[in-house]
Amino acid sequence: MGSLLIVNGSPRAPRSNSRQYAALLRDRWDGLVEEYAVTDNRHAEIGARLGEFDELALVFPLYADALPAALLRFLVALEGAHGGKRPRVHAIVNCGFLEPMQNHVAVEMLRLFCAQQGFEFGMALCIGAGEAILTTPFSFLVRRKIKAFAREIRAGRSERLEVTMPLSPAAFVGASRKYWLRYGAKNGLEPQQMDTDEIEGS
Amino acid sequence: MRLVLSDVPLPATLPQREENRYIDLTQRRIAQCMGCFGCWVKTPGKCVIRDDATEIYPLIAQSDRLLYVSRVRYGGYDVPLKTMLERAIPVQKAFLRVHEGETHHVQRRVADKDAVILAYGCPTQAEQAVFERLIARNAKNMAFRSWRVRFVEEAALAGAIEEEVRAWEAC
Repeated sequence: MGSLLIVNGSPRAPRSNSRQYAALLRDRWDGLVEEYAVTDNRHAEIGARLGEFDELALVFPLYADALPAALLRFLVALEGAHGGKRPRVHAIVNCGFLEPMQNHVAVEMLRLFCAQQGFEFGMALCIGAGEAILTTPFSFLVRRKIKAFAREIRAGRSERLEVTMPLSPAAFVGASRKYWLRYGAKNGLEPQQMDTDEIEGS
Repeated sequence: MRLVLSDVPLPATLPQREENRYIDLTQRRIAQCMGCFGCWVKTPGKCVIRDDATEIYPLIAQSDRLLYVSRVRYGGYDVPLKTMLERAIPVQKAFLRVHEGETHHVQRRVADKDAVILAYGCPTQAEQAVFERLIARNAKNMAFRSWRVRFVEEAALAGAIEEEVRAWEAC
């Protein structure tokens, strides 16, 4: 079993869903594992240590249809910062939308990063309904896929896996509305306040 | 309203019109989104980070013509414009809808847009293809009723920006 560096690319790393997905991956990895959150801002140090690892797993949310700026900054910092041996790069990307395919562009961006910077790209796991799925009875689907993701990394494969809630789009929209209303209610917000069309008060 | 959002300084010769707004991101203070969801579940429609982004995302929402100017990084926007776009999520609601067969966020008071993206630093067809796929995704999430990507050399940017803005005059 090789060594694995897990990078949490979420701008809210300590409280993120990505942290939970990273923890699930860690549980499925028998070899040495180290974790780094891009919010720690030690990019140069991590870049200099990349050669210590066989595998690099980037775990992040989809932001504005693409890689989060926080992760983008980390990747830019890696340019030229690494020398010698390079780990294979893998991705677990989650979006709040139902469709895992909405993550595909982010995966393609990572493939480009790898091609431009001399890394080999390996596995990708695209998670739909990623904001909430771990709090639902469907969480076992994600756990199962992360187990497969780890297994395929060990096998040296390069594939794209996908998982989401087995709901229709209409049912998911209804369920997500309830989820967000509960979230707002914890802050004392009424549904009509969350539903405002105003931006900056006008 | 018509908006230019650029990661390079803008030509001084752009036409001065009441309805045109020109934003040079290199001159603005815009922090990274914290992913706190405050603009959805705490202060709906307002970002909790009170920097220059709070002036810019209402302009994005109001604009019906949009020109984004950005270096391309790994087939996406480079850090300055991407940082701003992430800070623009107060223009959307937490709630989802089914749009073109996919789930997407409900927009607040956001005008439909004709968008042009001037992309530079993107020499390969492979990277251009990924960038165009990204903009097609943006169209669904950012209310683009039409969009066009124009790839240009960095040295030709000023002229291209001027051309695109002057084309608005004919509309």
